[in-house]
Amino acid sequence: MNMNAPKTHKVRKGVAAVVMNVILIIFSLSCIFPIVWMAYSSLKEKRVFNADIMGLPKNPTLINYIKILSNKDYHLGESMLNSVRTTGLSIILIILFSFIVGYILARVHFKLNRVLYVMFLMGMLIPIHSLLVPIYVVFQRCGINNRWFTLLLPYVSFGLPMGIFLVEGYVKTIPVSLEEAAAIDGSNFTHTLWTIILPICRPILTTVAIIQVFSCWNEFSFALVLIKDVSLQTVPLALTQFKGQFASDYPKQMAAMLITMAPVVVLYFAFSKEIIKGMVSGAVKG
Amino acid sequence: MLTTIKPKKKTLILYLIIPVLMFVFTVFVPLVTALVYSFFEWKGGPVKTFNGLANYKQLIQDTTFWQSFGHNIYLVIACIIGQIGIAFILVLMVNAKSTKLKGIHRTFGFFPSTIAAVCIGLIWNMIYHNKYGLINWFLKAIGRKDLCQVWLNNSKIVMLCVTIPLIWQFIGYYMVIILSAISSIDSEIFESAQIDGANGVQTAWYITLPLIKNTMLVCITLCVAGNMKAFDNIYVMTKGGPGTASMVMAMYGYQVSFSQSNMGYGSCISVAIFVLSLLVIGSSQGLIKYLTREKEA
Repeated sequence: MNMNAPKTHKVRKGVAAVVMNVILIIFSLSCIFPIVWMAYSSLKEKRVFNADIMGLPKNPTLINYIKILSNKDYHLGESMLNSVRTTGLSIILIILFSFIVGYILARVHFKLNRVLYVMFLMGMLIPIHSLLVPIYVVFQRCGINNRWFTLLLPYVSFGLPMGIFLVEGYVKTIPVSLEEAAAIDGSNFTHTLWTIILPICRPILTTVAIIQVFSCWNEFSFALVLIKDVSLQTVPLALTQFKGQFASDYPKQMAAMLITMAPVVVLYFAFSKEIIKGMVSGAVKG
Repeated sequence: MLTTIKPKKKTLILYLIIPVLMFVFTVFVPLVTALVYSFFEWKGGPVKTFNGLANYKQLIQDTTFWQSFGHNIYLVIACIIGQIGIAFILVLMVNAKSTKLKGIHRTFGFFPSTIAAVCIGLIWNMIYHNKYGLINWFLKAIGRKDLCQVWLNNSKIVMLCVTIPLIWQFIGYYMVIILSAISSIDSEIFESAQIDGANGVQTAWYITLPLIKNTMLVCITLCVAGNMKAFDNIYVMTKGGPGTASMVMAMYGYQVSFSQSNMGYGSCISVAIFVLSLLVIGSSQGLIKYLTREKEA
Protein backbone atom coordinates (compact mmCIF):
# COMPACT_ATOMS: atom_id res chain seq x y z
CA MET A 1 0.00 0.00 0.00
CA ASN A 2 1.27 3.46 -0.73
CA MET A 3 0.72 6.62 1.23
CA ASN A 4 -2.10 7.79 -0.97
CA ALA A 5 -4.31 4.80 -0.30
CA PRO A 6 -6.37 6.25 2.55
CA LYS A 7 -6.94 9.44 0.60
CA THR A 8 -8.13 7.81 -2.63
CA HIS A 9 -10.23 5.52 -0.50
CA LYS A 10 -11.87 8.50 1.07
CA VAL A 11 -12.49 10.17 -2.29
CA ARG A 12 -13.96 6.99 -3.66
CA LYS A 13 -16.21 6.73 -0.66
CA GLY A 14 -17.35 10.31 -1.14
CA VAL A 15 -18.18 9.70 -4.80
CA ALA A 16 -20.08 6.54 -3.87
CA ALA A 17 -22.09 8.47 -1.28
CA VAL A 18 -23.04 11.14 -3.81
CA VAL A 19 -23.98 8.55 -6.44
CA MET A 20 -26.12 6.61 -3.96
CA ASN A 21 -27.90 9.73 -2.78
CA VAL A 22 -28.59 10.79 -6.36
CA ILE A 23 -29.95 7.36 -7.31
CA LEU A 24 -32.23 7.31 -4.27
CA ILE A 25 -33.50 10.81 -4.94
CA ILE A 26 -34.25 9.93 -8.56
CA PHE A 27 -36.12 6.85 -7.36
CA SER A 28 -38.17 8.78 -4.81
CA LEU A 29 -39.00 11.50 -7.32
CA SER A 30 -40.07 8.91 -9.89
CA CYS A 31 -42.54 7.58 -7.34
CA ILE A 32 -44.36 10.86 -6.89
CA PHE A 33 -43.63 12.49 -10.22
CA PRO A 34 -46.69 11.05 -12.01
CA ILE A 35 -49.03 12.46 -9.42
CA VAL A 36 -47.34 15.86 -9.49
CA TRP A 37 -47.47 15.90 -13.27
CA MET A 38 -51.17 15.02 -13.13
CA ALA A 39 -51.85 17.64 -10.49
CA TYR A 40 -50.55 20.59 -12.50
CA SER A 41 -51.64 19.22 -15.88
CA SER A 42 -55.22 18.88 -14.65
CA LEU A 43 -55.23 22.66 -14.29
CA LYS A 44 -54.67 23.09 -18.03
CA GLU A 45 -57.27 23.13 -20.74
CA LYS A 46 -57.13 20.26 -23.21
CA ARG A 47 -55.88 22.51 -26.00
CA VAL A 48 -53.05 23.86 -23.85
CA PHE A 49 -52.06 20.41 -22.64
CA ASN A 50 -51.95 18.94 -26.12
CA ALA A 51 -49.66 21.72 -27.28
CA ASP A 52 -47.20 21.22 -24.43
CA ILE A 53 -47.57 18.17 -22.21
CA MET A 54 -44.79 18.95 -19.75
CA GLY A 55 -44.93 22.69 -19.17
CA LEU A 56 -46.48 24.24 -16.09
CA PRO A 57 -49.89 25.82 -16.69
CA LYS A 58 -49.62 29.51 -17.51
CA ASN A 59 -53.29 30.23 -16.85
CA PRO A 60 -54.31 27.61 -14.32
CA THR A 61 -58.03 26.84 -14.45
CA LEU A 62 -60.38 24.63 -12.48
CA ILE A 63 -62.64 24.17 -15.50
CA ASN A 64 -61.91 20.41 -15.74
CA TYR A 65 -62.89 19.84 -12.14
CA ILE A 66 -66.03 21.92 -12.47
CA LYS A 67 -67.10 20.14 -15.63
CA ILE A 68 -66.54 16.69 -14.16
CA LEU A 69 -68.25 17.34 -10.87
CA SER A 70 -71.21 19.26 -12.30
CA ASN A 71 -72.10 16.79 -15.04
CA LYS A 72 -74.35 14.08 -13.58
CA ASP A 73 -73.68 11.77 -16.54
CA TYR A 74 -70.20 11.07 -15.27
CA HIS A 75 -71.47 9.67 -11.95
CA LEU A 76 -68.27 10.69 -10.22
CA GLY A 77 -69.82 11.89 -6.97
CA GLU A 78 -72.11 8.91 -6.93
CA SER A 79 -69.28 6.44 -7.38
CA MET A 80 -67.29 8.18 -4.64
CA LEU A 81 -70.24 7.69 -2.30
CA ASN A 82 -70.53 4.05 -3.35
CA SER A 83 -66.84 3.49 -2.66
CA VAL A 84 -67.02 5.22 0.71
CA ARG A 85 -70.05 3.14 1.72
CA THR A 86 -68.64 -0.16 0.48
CA THR A 87 -65.22 0.44 2.01
CA GLY A 88 -66.63 1.71 5.30
CA LEU A 89 -69.06 -1.14 5.81
CA SER A 90 -66.50 -3.72 4.72
CA ILE A 91 -63.97 -2.42 7.24
CA ILE A 92 -66.50 -2.43 10.08
CA LEU A 93 -67.58 -5.99 9.30
CA ILE A 94 -64.03 -7.24 8.82
CA ILE A 95 -62.92 -5.77 12.15
CA LEU A 96 -65.98 -7.07 13.96
CA PHE A 97 -65.77 -10.60 12.55
CA SER A 98 -61.97 -10.87 12.75
CA PHE A 99 -62.13 -9.84 16.38
CA ILE A 100 -64.87 -12.30 17.34
CA VAL A 101 -63.60 -15.27 15.34
CA GLY A 102 -59.94 -14.57 16.10
CA TYR A 103 -60.62 -14.41 19.82
CA ILE A 104 -62.76 -17.53 19.91
CA LEU A 105 -60.25 -19.54 17.87
CA ALA A 106 -57.45 -18.46 20.20
CA ARG A 107 -59.23 -19.05 23.48
CA VAL A 108 -62.29 -21.23 23.41
CA HIS A 109 -61.96 -24.98 23.24
CA PHE A 110 -64.69 -26.63 21.20
CA LYS A 111 -64.94 -29.47 18.76
CA LEU A 112 -64.87 -27.50 15.52
CA ASN A 113 -62.13 -25.13 16.60
CA ARG A 114 -59.36 -26.70 14.50
CA VAL A 115 -61.72 -27.28 11.57
CA LEU A 116 -62.61 -23.59 11.42
CA TYR A 117 -58.96 -22.65 11.89
CA VAL A 118 -57.89 -24.72 8.89
CA MET A 119 -60.83 -23.44 6.86
CA PHE A 120 -59.84 -19.82 7.32
CA LEU A 121 -56.19 -20.71 6.78
CA MET A 122 -57.18 -22.18 3.43
CA GLY A 123 -58.88 -18.89 2.67
CA MET A 124 -55.46 -17.28 2.71
CA LEU A 125 -53.97 -19.83 0.35
CA ILE A 126 -56.77 -19.92 -2.20
CA PRO A 127 -55.92 -17.83 -5.24
CA ILE A 128 -58.97 -15.57 -5.06
CA HIS A 129 -58.76 -14.41 -8.67
CA SER A 130 -59.79 -17.92 -9.68
CA LEU A 131 -63.11 -17.11 -7.97
CA LEU A 132 -63.86 -14.18 -10.29
CA VAL A 133 -66.11 -16.11 -12.66
CA PRO A 134 -67.50 -18.64 -10.13
CA ILE A 135 -68.60 -15.91 -7.71
CA TYR A 136 -70.43 -14.18 -10.54
CA VAL A 137 -72.21 -17.44 -11.39
CA VAL A 138 -73.24 -18.14 -7.79
CA PHE A 139 -74.35 -14.57 -7.10
CA GLN A 140 -76.29 -14.48 -10.37
CA ARG A 141 -78.07 -17.67 -9.33
CA CYS A 142 -79.01 -16.22 -5.95
CA GLY A 143 -80.04 -12.90 -7.51
CA ILE A 144 -77.64 -10.86 -5.42
CA ASN A 145 -75.54 -9.47 -8.25
CA ASN A 146 -75.58 -5.75 -8.86
CA ARG A 147 -76.95 -4.63 -5.47
CA TRP A 148 -75.58 -2.05 -3.09
CA PHE A 149 -74.38 -4.77 -0.72
CA THR A 150 -73.05 -7.19 -3.34
CA LEU A 151 -69.39 -6.22 -3.01
CA LEU A 152 -69.45 -6.50 0.78
CA LEU A 153 -69.53 -10.29 0.54
CA PRO A 154 -66.26 -10.81 -1.35
CA TYR A 155 -64.48 -7.89 0.30
CA VAL A 156 -65.30 -9.04 3.82
CA SER A 157 -64.68 -12.70 3.06
CA PHE A 158 -61.31 -12.06 1.45
CA GLY A 159 -60.26 -9.71 4.23
CA LEU A 160 -61.30 -12.06 7.03
CA PRO A 161 -58.52 -14.70 6.99
CA MET A 162 -55.67 -12.24 7.45
CA GLY A 163 -57.65 -10.32 10.06
CA ILE A 164 -58.48 -13.47 11.98
CA PHE A 165 -54.88 -14.64 12.06
CA LEU A 166 -53.55 -11.27 13.15
CA VAL A 167 -56.11 -11.14 15.99
CA GLU A 168 -55.56 -14.77 16.93
CA GLY A 169 -51.81 -14.29 17.18
CA TYR A 170 -52.31 -11.13 19.19
CA VAL A 171 -54.81 -12.62 21.65
CA LYS A 172 -52.36 -15.45 22.39
CA THR A 173 -49.94 -12.88 23.78
CA ILE A 174 -52.53 -11.70 26.33
CA PRO A 175 -52.24 -13.63 29.64
CA VAL A 176 -55.26 -15.84 30.31
CA SER A 177 -55.19 -14.76 33.95
CA LEU A 178 -56.77 -11.51 32.85
CA GLU A 179 -59.96 -13.22 31.76
CA GLU A 180 -59.87 -15.55 34.74
CA ALA A 181 -59.75 -12.60 37.09
CA ALA A 182 -62.68 -11.07 35.26
CA ALA A 183 -64.60 -14.34 35.56
CA ILE A 184 -64.02 -14.39 39.32
CA ASP A 185 -65.44 -10.88 39.44
CA GLY A 186 -68.57 -12.24 37.80
CA SER A 187 -68.02 -11.13 34.22
CA ASN A 188 -69.53 -13.48 31.67
CA PHE A 189 -68.10 -14.35 28.26
CA THR A 190 -69.83 -11.58 26.32
CA HIS A 191 -69.03 -8.95 28.90
CA THR A 192 -65.34 -9.93 29.01
CA LEU A 193 -65.14 -9.98 25.23
CA TRP A 194 -66.43 -6.46 24.69
CA THR A 195 -65.23 -4.58 27.76
CA ILE A 196 -61.87 -6.21 28.50
CA ILE A 197 -60.50 -7.85 25.37
CA LEU A 198 -61.71 -5.34 22.77
CA PRO A 199 -59.77 -2.36 24.22
CA ILE A 200 -56.60 -4.46 24.46
CA CYS A 201 -56.91 -5.53 20.83
CA ARG A 202 -57.23 -2.00 19.51
CA PRO A 203 -53.68 -1.82 18.03
CA ILE A 204 -54.04 -5.00 16.01
CA LEU A 205 -57.53 -4.04 14.84
CA THR A 206 -56.11 -0.72 13.64
CA THR A 207 -53.55 -2.64 11.60
CA VAL A 208 -56.31 -4.76 10.07
CA ALA A 209 -58.32 -1.64 9.24
CA ILE A 210 -55.35 0.10 7.59
CA ILE A 211 -54.60 -2.84 5.33
CA GLN A 212 -58.22 -3.28 4.33
CA VAL A 213 -58.99 0.40 3.66
CA PHE A 214 -56.53 0.41 0.80
CA SER A 215 -57.43 -2.98 -0.61
CA CYS A 216 -61.19 -2.26 -0.54
CA TRP A 217 -60.93 1.25 -1.96
CA ASN A 218 -58.64 0.07 -4.76
CA GLU A 219 -60.31 -3.25 -5.58
CA PHE A 220 -61.32 -3.51 -9.20
CA SER A 221 -61.78 -6.99 -10.64
CA PHE A 222 -64.72 -8.13 -8.51
CA ALA A 223 -66.45 -4.79 -8.87
CA LEU A 224 -66.06 -5.08 -12.63
CA VAL A 225 -67.67 -8.51 -12.72
CA LEU A 226 -70.39 -8.10 -10.10
CA ILE A 227 -71.61 -4.54 -10.68
CA LYS A 228 -73.30 -3.60 -13.93
CA ASP A 229 -75.39 -0.62 -12.84
CA VAL A 230 -73.63 2.75 -13.38
CA SER A 231 -75.26 4.16 -10.28
CA LEU A 232 -73.71 1.39 -8.16
CA GLN A 233 -70.20 1.42 -9.54
CA THR A 234 -67.20 2.07 -7.33
CA VAL A 235 -64.41 4.51 -8.07
CA PRO A 236 -62.05 2.20 -10.01
CA LEU A 237 -64.95 1.21 -12.27
CA ALA A 238 -65.92 4.82 -12.86
CA LEU A 239 -62.35 5.60 -13.84
CA THR A 240 -62.29 2.93 -16.53
CA GLN A 241 -65.51 4.43 -17.90
CA PHE A 242 -63.85 7.81 -17.98
CA LYS A 243 -61.01 6.39 -20.00
CA GLY A 244 -63.50 5.50 -22.72
CA GLN A 245 -65.35 8.82 -22.57
CA PHE A 246 -62.32 11.10 -22.50
CA ALA A 247 -59.89 9.01 -24.48
CA SER A 248 -58.10 12.07 -25.78
CA ASP A 249 -58.91 14.54 -23.03
CA TYR A 250 -56.08 13.90 -20.61
CA PRO A 251 -56.53 16.87 -18.30
CA LYS A 252 -60.10 15.75 -17.58
CA GLN A 253 -59.01 12.16 -16.97
CA MET A 254 -56.31 13.44 -14.65
CA ALA A 255 -58.73 15.63 -12.73
CA ALA A 256 -61.06 12.67 -12.26
CA MET A 257 -58.27 10.43 -11.07
CA LEU A 258 -56.98 13.03 -8.64
CA ILE A 259 -60.43 13.51 -7.14
CA THR A 260 -60.84 9.78 -6.57
CA MET A 261 -57.30 9.36 -5.29
CA ALA A 262 -57.57 12.32 -2.94
CA PRO A 263 -58.94 10.48 0.11
CA VAL A 264 -56.26 7.81 -0.05
CA VAL A 265 -53.45 10.23 -0.76
CA VAL A 266 -54.43 12.53 2.09
CA LEU A 267 -54.79 9.56 4.44
CA TYR A 268 -51.41 8.22 3.37
CA PHE A 269 -49.41 11.39 3.79
CA ALA A 270 -51.11 12.22 7.08
CA PHE A 271 -50.41 8.81 8.67
CA SER A 272 -47.65 7.42 6.47
CA LYS A 273 -45.62 6.06 9.38
CA GLU A 274 -48.51 4.14 10.91
CA ILE A 275 -49.75 2.99 7.51
CA ILE A 276 -46.37 1.68 6.39
CA LYS A 277 -45.90 -0.08 9.71
CA GLY A 278 -49.36 -1.63 9.59
CA MET A 279 -49.14 -2.79 5.98
CA VAL A 280 -45.70 -4.31 6.48
CA SER A 281 -46.54 -6.15 9.69
CA GLY A 282 -49.73 -7.44 8.08
CA ALA A 283 -47.87 -8.64 5.01
CA VAL A 284 -45.11 -10.36 6.94
CA LYS A 285 -47.25 -12.03 9.58
CA GLY A 286 -50.05 -12.82 7.18
CA MET B 1 -57.30 -21.87 26.08
CA LEU B 2 -59.83 -20.66 28.59
CA THR B 3 -60.80 -23.09 31.28
CA THR B 4 -62.57 -20.99 33.87
CA ILE B 5 -65.17 -19.37 31.66
CA LYS B 6 -66.68 -21.35 28.91
CA PRO B 7 -69.32 -19.66 26.80
CA LYS B 8 -72.55 -21.55 26.32
CA LYS B 9 -72.87 -23.44 23.06
CA LYS B 10 -75.66 -21.14 22.00
CA THR B 11 -73.57 -18.00 22.53
CA LEU B 12 -70.72 -19.53 20.58
CA ILE B 13 -72.95 -20.41 17.64
CA LEU B 14 -74.53 -16.97 17.65
CA TYR B 15 -71.11 -15.34 17.47
CA LEU B 16 -69.70 -17.59 14.76
CA ILE B 17 -72.65 -18.31 12.51
CA ILE B 18 -72.64 -15.16 10.35
CA PRO B 19 -68.91 -14.91 9.55
CA VAL B 20 -68.57 -18.64 8.95
CA LEU B 21 -71.62 -18.90 6.68
CA MET B 22 -70.60 -15.80 4.79
CA PHE B 23 -67.11 -17.12 4.26
CA VAL B 24 -68.27 -20.52 3.10
CA PHE B 25 -70.81 -18.94 0.76
CA THR B 26 -68.37 -16.60 -0.97
CA VAL B 27 -65.28 -18.82 -1.06
CA PHE B 28 -66.15 -22.49 -0.99
CA VAL B 29 -69.54 -22.55 -2.71
CA PRO B 30 -68.14 -20.81 -5.84
CA LEU B 31 -65.17 -23.17 -5.90
CA VAL B 32 -67.41 -26.22 -5.92
CA THR B 33 -69.77 -24.61 -8.42
CA ALA B 34 -66.87 -23.90 -10.76
CA LEU B 35 -65.74 -27.47 -10.52
CA VAL B 36 -69.22 -28.74 -11.36
CA TYR B 37 -69.85 -26.36 -14.27
CA SER B 38 -66.44 -27.09 -15.72
CA PHE B 39 -67.91 -30.40 -16.90
CA PHE B 40 -70.77 -28.69 -18.73
CA GLU B 41 -71.22 -26.92 -21.99
CA TRP B 42 -72.92 -23.72 -20.94
CA LYS B 43 -73.13 -20.50 -22.91
CA GLY B 44 -74.62 -18.49 -20.05
CA GLY B 45 -78.23 -19.23 -21.00
CA PRO B 46 -80.64 -21.66 -19.36
CA VAL B 47 -79.30 -24.66 -21.31
CA LYS B 48 -76.50 -26.65 -19.75
CA THR B 49 -75.33 -29.91 -21.27
CA PHE B 50 -72.98 -32.30 -19.55
CA ASN B 51 -69.98 -32.91 -21.77
CA GLY B 52 -67.59 -34.73 -19.48
CA LEU B 53 -63.96 -33.83 -19.93
CA ALA B 54 -64.45 -31.98 -23.23
CA ASN B 55 -63.69 -28.59 -21.65
CA TYR B 56 -60.49 -29.90 -20.15
CA LYS B 57 -59.44 -31.46 -23.45
CA GLN B 58 -60.03 -28.12 -25.12
CA LEU B 59 -58.05 -26.40 -22.38
CA ILE B 60 -54.99 -28.59 -22.86
CA GLN B 61 -54.92 -27.71 -26.56
CA ASP B 62 -55.78 -24.05 -26.00
CA THR B 63 -52.59 -22.24 -27.02
CA THR B 64 -53.96 -18.87 -25.87
CA PHE B 65 -54.44 -20.18 -22.35
CA TRP B 66 -50.94 -21.60 -22.15
CA GLN B 67 -49.55 -18.46 -23.67
CA SER B 68 -51.23 -16.43 -20.92
CA PHE B 69 -49.93 -18.86 -18.31
CA GLY B 70 -46.48 -18.22 -19.75
CA HIS B 71 -47.08 -14.49 -19.43
CA ASN B 72 -47.98 -14.93 -15.76
CA ILE B 73 -44.71 -16.80 -15.23
CA TYR B 74 -42.89 -14.04 -17.13
CA LEU B 75 -44.45 -11.48 -14.79
CA VAL B 76 -43.49 -13.51 -11.73
CA ILE B 77 -39.85 -13.84 -12.76
CA ALA B 78 -39.54 -10.27 -13.99
CA CYS B 79 -41.08 -8.95 -10.77
CA ILE B 80 -38.98 -11.12 -8.46
CA ILE B 81 -35.84 -9.81 -10.15
CA GLY B 82 -37.14 -6.29 -10.72
CA GLN B 83 -39.06 -5.62 -7.51
CA ILE B 84 -37.20 -7.58 -4.88
CA GLY B 85 -33.77 -7.29 -6.51
CA ILE B 86 -33.96 -3.54 -7.03
CA ALA B 87 -35.58 -3.12 -3.62
CA PHE B 88 -32.71 -4.97 -1.95
CA ILE B 89 -30.10 -2.80 -3.70
CA LEU B 90 -32.00 0.36 -2.75
CA VAL B 91 -32.23 -0.83 0.85
CA LEU B 92 -28.46 -1.19 1.00
CA MET B 93 -28.17 2.38 -0.29
CA VAL B 94 -30.73 3.71 2.16
CA ASN B 95 -28.92 2.02 5.02
CA ALA B 96 -25.55 3.53 4.11
CA LYS B 97 -24.34 6.04 6.69
CA SER B 98 -23.93 8.83 4.16
CA THR B 99 -27.50 8.66 2.92
CA LYS B 100 -29.70 11.65 3.62
CA LEU B 101 -33.51 11.94 3.66
CA LYS B 102 -34.08 8.31 4.66
CA GLY B 103 -37.61 9.01 5.87
CA ILE B 104 -38.55 10.72 2.60
CA HIS B 105 -37.33 7.77 0.55
CA ARG B 106 -39.47 5.45 2.63
CA THR B 107 -42.58 7.60 2.42
CA PHE B 108 -42.30 8.44 -1.28
CA GLY B 109 -41.12 4.99 -2.29
CA PHE B 110 -44.02 3.25 -0.58
CA PHE B 111 -46.57 5.66 -1.97
CA PRO B 112 -47.29 4.03 -5.39
CA SER B 113 -48.22 0.73 -3.74
CA THR B 114 -51.16 2.41 -2.00
CA ILE B 115 -52.64 3.62 -5.29
CA ALA B 116 -55.24 1.53 -7.12
CA ALA B 117 -53.83 -0.67 -9.87
CA VAL B 118 -56.45 0.91 -12.14
CA CYS B 119 -54.97 4.36 -11.54
CA ILE B 120 -51.44 3.08 -12.07
CA GLY B 121 -52.58 1.53 -15.35
CA LEU B 122 -54.27 4.76 -16.47
CA ILE B 123 -51.24 6.84 -15.54
CA TRP B 124 -48.93 4.59 -17.53
CA ASN B 125 -51.35 4.64 -20.43
CA MET B 126 -50.69 8.34 -20.53
CA ILE B 127 -46.96 7.85 -20.20
CA TYR B 128 -46.96 5.40 -23.13
CA HIS B 129 -49.37 7.38 -25.32
CA ASN B 130 -47.99 7.95 -28.78
CA LYS B 131 -49.06 11.57 -29.13
CA TYR B 132 -49.28 12.98 -25.62
CA GLY B 133 -47.14 10.47 -23.74
CA LEU B 134 -44.09 11.26 -21.65
CA ILE B 135 -41.82 8.68 -23.25
CA ASN B 136 -42.32 9.92 -26.79
CA TRP B 137 -42.06 13.49 -25.50
CA PHE B 138 -38.71 12.62 -23.96
CA LEU B 139 -37.47 10.87 -27.11
CA LYS B 140 -38.39 13.91 -29.17
CA ALA B 141 -36.71 16.18 -26.65
CA ILE B 142 -33.41 14.32 -27.00
CA GLY B 143 -33.76 14.24 -30.76
CA ARG B 144 -34.53 10.55 -31.25
CA LYS B 145 -37.89 10.93 -32.92
CA ASP B 146 -37.13 7.76 -34.87
CA LEU B 147 -37.55 5.69 -31.68
CA CYS B 148 -41.06 7.01 -31.00
CA GLN B 149 -43.79 4.45 -31.38
CA VAL B 150 -47.21 3.34 -30.17
CA TRP B 151 -45.70 1.41 -27.28
CA LEU B 152 -48.67 -0.69 -26.24
CA ASN B 153 -49.43 -1.70 -29.83
CA ASN B 154 -46.14 -3.42 -30.45
CA SER B 155 -46.71 -7.07 -29.68
CA LYS B 156 -42.97 -7.69 -29.36
CA ILE B 157 -42.47 -5.36 -26.41
CA VAL B 158 -45.95 -5.08 -24.95
CA MET B 159 -45.22 -7.56 -22.13
CA LEU B 160 -42.21 -5.51 -21.10
CA CYS B 161 -44.34 -2.36 -21.27
CA VAL B 162 -47.00 -3.74 -18.93
CA THR B 163 -44.39 -5.19 -16.57
CA ILE B 164 -42.53 -1.95 -15.96
CA PRO B 165 -45.48 -0.23 -14.18
CA LEU B 166 -45.96 -3.34 -12.02
CA ILE B 167 -42.32 -3.38 -11.01
CA TRP B 168 -42.27 0.35 -10.42
CA GLN B 169 -45.40 0.26 -8.27
CA PHE B 170 -44.08 -2.25 -5.74
CA ILE B 171 -40.34 -1.58 -5.43
CA GLY B 172 -40.99 0.71 -2.48
CA TYR B 173 -43.29 -1.83 -0.86
CA TYR B 174 -40.60 -4.52 -0.80
CA MET B 175 -38.00 -1.93 0.09
CA VAL B 176 -39.88 -1.10 3.28
CA ILE B 177 -40.40 -4.76 4.20
CA ILE B 178 -36.70 -5.54 3.73
CA LEU B 179 -35.71 -2.36 5.59
CA SER B 180 -37.71 -3.36 8.63
CA ALA B 181 -36.15 -6.83 8.57
CA ILE B 182 -32.62 -5.43 8.43
CA SER B 183 -33.29 -2.93 11.20
CA SER B 184 -34.03 -5.83 13.53
CA ILE B 185 -30.55 -7.31 12.97
CA ASP B 186 -28.09 -6.62 15.76
CA SER B 187 -25.84 -3.77 14.56
CA GLU B 188 -22.82 -5.39 16.26
CA ILE B 189 -22.78 -7.99 13.51
CA PHE B 190 -22.23 -5.32 10.88
CA GLU B 191 -19.60 -3.60 12.99
CA SER B 192 -17.58 -6.76 13.46
CA ALA B 193 -17.88 -7.48 9.74
CA GLN B 194 -16.48 -4.05 9.03
CA ILE B 195 -13.59 -4.62 11.46
CA ASP B 196 -12.83 -7.90 9.71
CA GLY B 197 -12.52 -5.90 6.50
CA ALA B 198 -15.63 -6.99 4.64
CA ASN B 199 -16.68 -4.53 1.94
CA GLY B 200 -20.24 -3.45 1.26
CA VAL B 201 -20.98 -6.13 -1.32
CA GLN B 202 -19.51 -8.89 0.81
CA THR B 203 -21.46 -7.76 3.86
CA ALA B 204 -24.67 -7.67 1.85
CA TRP B 205 -24.18 -11.07 0.25
CA TYR B 206 -22.67 -13.09 3.09
CA ILE B 207 -24.17 -11.46 6.17
CA THR B 208 -27.32 -9.45 5.46
CA LEU B 209 -28.93 -11.78 2.94
CA PRO B 210 -28.64 -15.00 5.00
CA LEU B 211 -29.92 -13.18 8.08
CA ILE B 212 -33.06 -11.91 6.37
CA LYS B 213 -33.66 -15.15 4.47
CA ASN B 214 -37.12 -15.62 5.95
CA THR B 215 -38.22 -12.12 5.02
CA MET B 216 -36.95 -12.63 1.49
CA LEU B 217 -38.99 -15.82 1.34
CA VAL B 218 -42.09 -13.90 2.39
CA CYS B 219 -41.35 -11.27 -0.27
CA ILE B 220 -40.97 -13.89 -2.99
CA THR B 221 -44.19 -15.60 -1.92
CA LEU B 222 -46.05 -12.28 -2.00
CA CYS B 223 -44.54 -11.54 -5.38
CA VAL B 224 -45.48 -14.91 -6.88
CA ALA B 225 -49.03 -14.78 -5.50
CA GLY B 226 -49.46 -11.17 -6.57
CA ASN B 227 -48.41 -11.77 -10.15
CA MET B 228 -50.35 -14.97 -10.68
CA LYS B 229 -53.46 -12.83 -10.18
CA ALA B 230 -52.40 -9.95 -12.44
CA PHE B 231 -55.55 -8.47 -13.95
CA ASP B 232 -56.29 -4.82 -13.17
CA ASN B 233 -53.27 -3.29 -14.90
CA ILE B 234 -53.65 -5.49 -17.95
CA TYR B 235 -57.38 -4.78 -18.21
CA VAL B 236 -56.81 -1.04 -18.14
CA MET B 237 -53.72 -0.91 -20.32
CA THR B 238 -54.16 -3.48 -23.08
CA LYS B 239 -57.08 -5.84 -22.32
CA GLY B 240 -54.60 -8.57 -23.26
CA GLY B 241 -53.84 -7.13 -26.67
CA PRO B 242 -52.69 -6.49 -29.24
CA GLY B 243 -54.21 -9.84 -30.16
CA THR B 244 -53.23 -11.98 -27.23
CA ALA B 245 -49.72 -10.58 -26.86
CA SER B 246 -50.21 -9.49 -23.25
CA MET B 247 -52.95 -11.91 -22.20
CA VAL B 248 -52.76 -13.26 -18.65
CA MET B 249 -54.81 -16.09 -17.16
CA ALA B 250 -57.32 -14.01 -15.19
CA MET B 251 -57.88 -11.74 -18.22
CA TYR B 252 -58.43 -14.73 -20.48
CA GLY B 253 -60.87 -16.31 -18.05
CA TYR B 254 -62.75 -13.01 -17.93
CA GLN B 255 -62.90 -12.69 -21.71
CA VAL B 256 -64.05 -16.24 -22.32
CA SER B 257 -66.72 -15.99 -19.62
CA PHE B 258 -68.07 -12.52 -20.24
CA SER B 259 -67.14 -11.37 -23.75
CA GLN B 260 -67.78 -14.75 -25.35
CA SER B 261 -70.22 -15.71 -22.54
CA ASN B 262 -68.84 -19.22 -22.56
CA MET B 263 -69.49 -19.90 -18.89
CA GLY B 264 -68.78 -23.62 -18.96
CA TYR B 265 -65.36 -23.21 -20.45
CA GLY B 266 -64.81 -20.14 -18.28
CA SER B 267 -65.44 -22.26 -15.18
CA CYS B 268 -62.96 -24.79 -16.50
CA ILE B 269 -60.38 -22.03 -16.90
CA SER B 270 -61.12 -20.85 -13.35
CA VAL B 271 -60.39 -24.32 -12.02
CA ALA B 272 -57.18 -24.38 -14.04
CA ILE B 273 -56.15 -20.96 -12.67
CA PHE B 274 -56.82 -22.26 -9.16
CA VAL B 275 -54.73 -25.40 -9.62
CA LEU B 276 -51.89 -23.74 -11.54
CA SER B 277 -51.59 -20.83 -9.09
CA LEU B 278 -51.38 -23.18 -6.14
CA LEU B 279 -48.84 -25.32 -8.00
CA VAL B 280 -46.63 -22.37 -8.90
CA ILE B 281 -46.81 -20.85 -5.41
CA GLY B 282 -46.15 -24.21 -3.75
CA SER B 283 -43.32 -25.26 -6.01
CA SER B 284 -41.63 -21.87 -5.84
CA GLN B 285 -41.58 -22.16 -2.06
CA GLY B 286 -40.29 -25.69 -2.22
CA LEU B 287 -37.58 -24.64 -4.66
CA ILE B 288 -36.41 -21.78 -2.47
CA LYS B 289 -36.36 -23.91 0.64
CA TYR B 290 -34.37 -26.55 -1.23
CA LEU B 291 -31.87 -24.05 -2.59
CA THR B 292 -31.29 -22.27 0.70
CA ARG B 293 -30.90 -25.55 2.55
CA GLU B 294 -28.13 -26.64 0.22
CA LYS B 295 -26.24 -23.44 0.81
CA GLU B 296 -26.13 -24.07 4.53
CA ALA B 297 -24.80 -27.59 4.22
